[in-house]
Amino acid sequence: MKVIPVYIEAGISGFESPAAEYKELNLSLEDLLLQHPNATFFGLANGRSMEGRGIFDGDVLVVDRAEHVSNDSVIVANFNGCFVCKIIDTDKALLLSASDEHKPISISAADSFQIEGVVNVSFRLHKKLPTLLSCLA
Amino acid sequence: MFGLIDAVAFYARVEKVFDPTIRNKPVVVLTNNDGCICAVCPMARELGIPKFIPYFKIKSFLAKHNVVIRSSNYELYADLSERMMNVIARYSDRHYVYSIDESFLHFRNFTCIDDWHEYGHVIRKAVWRETRLPVGVGFGSTLTLAKAANHASKKLSGFDGVAVINDEDSRKEILSRMSLTDVWGIGSKLGKRLSILGLKNGWDLANQSPKSMKGQFGVVVERTVNELNGMPCLNWDEIGQDKKEIFSTRSFGQRVTNEHALKAALSSHASIVAKKVRRQCSLIKRLVIFASNSPHDDNYYKKSVIYEFPVATDNTLKIVTAISFVFDSIYMAGVMFYRCGVGAIELENSQFQQQDMFNVTVNNPQLMKYYDKVNYRYGSGAIEVAVAEKSDKWAMRRNFLSPSYTSKWSEIPKIIC
Repeated sequence: MKVIPVYIEAGISGFESPAAEYKELNLSLEDLLLQHPNATFFGLANGRSMEGRGIFDGDVLVVDRAEHVSNDSVIVANFNGCFVCKIIDTDKALLLSASDEHKPISISAADSFQIEGVVNVSFRLHKKLPTLLSCLA
Repeated sequence: MFGLIDAVAFYARVEKVFDPTIRNKPVVVLTNNDGCICAVCPMARELGIPKFIPYFKIKSFLAKHNVVIRSSNYELYADLSERMMNVIARYSDRHYVYSIDESFLHFRNFTCIDDWHEYGHVIRKAVWRETRLPVGVGFGSTLTLAKAANHASKKLSGFDGVAVINDEDSRKEILSRMSLTDVWGIGSKLGKRLSILGLKNGWDLANQSPKSMKGQFGVVVERTVNELNGMPCLNWDEIGQDKKEIFSTRSFGQRVTNEHALKAALSSHASIVAKKVRRQCSLIKRLVIFASNSPHDDNYYKKSVIYEFPVATDNTLKIVTAISFVFDSIYMAGVMFYRCGVGAIELENSQFQQQDMFNVTVNNPQLMKYYDKVNYRYGSGAIEVAVAEKSDKWAMRRNFLSPSYTSKWSEIPKIIC
């Protein structure tokens, strides 16, 4: 439950702040970044194939399982037992990279493939935190 | 209409959610201290791996079949359970979390739904999509029938994860395919006694006279019979009833011989019990404190002492002090302790206390309130009674622990770009 704390003023205690009535809840990063908190998990980007879409090595991916997948969505998928982040081409069943150095991968019936969620948000810590990087080790 | 939703092989399945490398492999999960197998995924079940078998007995079989072994990752299970329950809660107007992977639903203002089967699939799909957990959904006009339908949804052939008991045909079909002990509230002893009467399945039980069942087996079975016939007897409030006993007990990761270490472990169990007791607003009148070595040891040693509080209490400090009072009669030098625990075996309601004019106040609700708050905010163990100091020796042995994918930034899953 979100409650705005309002303090009761009693007795002779000076003047009430003229801004008191205008107090609002502070900004929450979760509110901004998570559309479906229940269905969202975080992952750490590893590799450079998505740089054209602004996803760099070491960025945090916000993966939303409840979000609708459409053609050209940036998705995270389980591709043959490995989590990958790619652009999905739903028409041709391709996994595209956002980089010239990586070729499209076609998804065949022999592959094990499940879409895990959509990446509408990713973020970068410009000063790297050791705790975050330790999962790349 | 009532519903019961529960996850299929919850622990084993949760292990697969964030680890794509084991999605298509058989997975088993071990209990505390990696002692026994407590969960098997459907693939592991096909290999014929039974539940609750000690790990060491089946170790080589698991290795031969490349079965993935995991220790219980409670941090992860608690998080996924909460997510699953939040999704389920959207679909009814009353909802009661019955266990880590089970939830009862009550639909009071849902007259608009005419196809419950379809509605069950809507819920199932949403849970799958948002949490990647498969669930079974059962609907029925009583809690016991909902539980029976849930059983059918997962265990009986011809059902696809959803089962509904909403008419005579569906009731007869499902109940006649259930064994007596699959019926909610019928344990193995009761099942045996009922089968002596010639009853074979749930349908036979439903056709007994409630009166004569009450005469022979008591009011609980009478209510079950009525519930199986679509007459609600179990009150919604009763499924969430307070626990009558609360225990905290565990085996040690390594044997304990030191006096202080055993006392610390017992004190820690005492404070866990105290916390749980406060959560349901009870007070402890009688406490049992016990410790033992292993029954497989040469000289089996087990000591258990009951302590009665003069005035019932929920004060952690008083409850931990009780350990000191009885400790000397439990500890024996030279015994390699394997297991210990504390249990509140007589509880009283904190709201209805008979006061006594000679009572000294032993409770300190204010202190306990903040004690619990600090531990909730900063993680359990943030404040602890000094004697309950943690030691690595009796920490849980979890050799096959998966990462805390959703609760530690240093362990979030790696995604290849």
